[in-house]
Amino acid sequence: MIGSSKLWREILVVGATLFVALFVLRVSSRNPGELSMLDRGILRLVSPGQAAMSYVARGITGVAGRYVELKGVRAENESLHRENRQLRAELTEMRRLAEESGRYQRLLGLRDATPAETIAARVIAVDASPHFRVARVEIDRGEGTVRRGMPVLTPEGVVGRINRAAGKSSDVLLLVDPRSALDVIAPRTGGRGILKGKSGENGYRCSIEYLARGEPVKEGDAVVTSGVGGAFPRNLAVGHITKIIPGAVGLYQDVEVTPDVDFARLTDVLVVVAPPPTPDPEPGSHHTPGRGLAVMK
Amino acid sequence: MRSAATLFVAYLLLILQSTVLEMAPVHMAVPSFGLLVVLHVGLSPSKWTISSAAIVAFATGYLFDLVSGAPQGVHAFVFTLMTLFARALTRRVAVNGIVLGAATSFVASLLATFLVVLVRAQVAPEGGYGGLRQAPLEALLTAIFGPLVLSLFRRLDGRVDTARSRVGLARGPRGGGTSMSMSLTDRR
Repeated sequence: MIGSSKLWREILVVGATLFVALFVLRVSSRNPGELSMLDRGILRLVSPGQAAMSYVARGITGVAGRYVELKGVRAENESLHRENRQLRAELTEMRRLAEESGRYQRLLGLRDATPAETIAARVIAVDASPHFRVARVEIDRGEGTVRRGMPVLTPEGVVGRINRAAGKSSDVLLLVDPRSALDVIAPRTGGRGILKGKSGENGYRCSIEYLARGEPVKEGDAVVTSGVGGAFPRNLAVGHITKIIPGAVGLYQDVEVTPDVDFARLTDVLVVVAPPPTPDPEPGSHHTPGRGLAVMK
Repeated sequence: MRSAATLFVAYLLLILQSTVLEMAPVHMAVPSFGLLVVLHVGLSPSKWTISSAAIVAFATGYLFDLVSGAPQGVHAFVFTLMTLFARALTRRVAVNGIVLGAATSFVASLLATFLVVLVRAQVAPEGGYGGLRQAPLEALLTAIFGPLVLSLFRRLDGRVDTARSRVGLARGPRGGGTSMSMSLTDRR
């Protein structure tokens, strides 16, 4: 009897629990979002625990996440370093190509502007011996067309002339070699002379011989080719007068010229393989500027 | 005292479920710790009368409703039903050991999910019957944690018994639900 009443009591409690659950469910479905006093009280008790647990969990996951991220960052860093090195190498190569392309374009411009037939050559050596100012150039095509005495130019100005030719490579006697002699003119005064290399100089220097004293030049005056002799076109830039040596006696001035071409940085040159057109026979016309980058304006 | 201790642990587990596991890599499903509490009280007739088990299940479900943002009563009702299911199960099967504990957790989780979706569809039709796809994963996770949590509660019951015996309140297996005498604790 006692067991039976106990059983009924159990069943009653369970039934009541289910009923309450359904009742609560019905109420909440009718008024969703509404919280009773009991609900608010429970949530007040629950919330701090949730906040604390969440804080701890986020701390743990944050540390773990940062560790994973750091590992990822390290790998990414190494990857970026590799990429950076590769890009720097590519950039250097691109710059070199761009510079080379620029040189070729200037050379092409000079070639188009030069009133003579030219071929391009690559400088493969400069000043192999300190006693001889010679550059060695190599041509890609036109083997056998280069001969001794042919002028060698760059967009900046006159380089020299072929001293020796052997197959694809040739020796260029630079303007600054004492053996070099080039007929030049100072356009401002019209004074004319022979440009000669200065031996024993540390830098690249030349001097003008036979420059008449009656046509006085001054420092900074430009010096260009005169076109006399027919090998070099007229008005090609050669250099600038950088020093007038005082105390010279006689008929001629003693001046020093610094070439416009930087011989230490020679890379590509043009070799004039055919003589330029015949100079204009009209007097004074050879002082008018010609075309081309190397031509003194 | 036993109910209070169980509800307190249930509270901790529900907080754990609602916070820590939400940050776990598997965000789609989490093990139902609340259901494991309900399974424990339902599977332990020697310690829990059916009425007290139902009340604890209701309280756990209600707490879970509040914590999870579900309409109040959904889990309270389902968990109460699940306690009855667990108690009925003890009449036929002795849930003992890791494998059986995991299997029971798995089946109970599937059933609970189905019931929750069914009830939700009644009280909040806009949700439809969606969510059943996650049921196997949730059941799997619950099965993985099941033996561990059930073992934890068995230890808790043991501690409560020890404490009660110290203060002279020790009592033997309860008579409530006398026919449902097969329990995990008894068999140990």
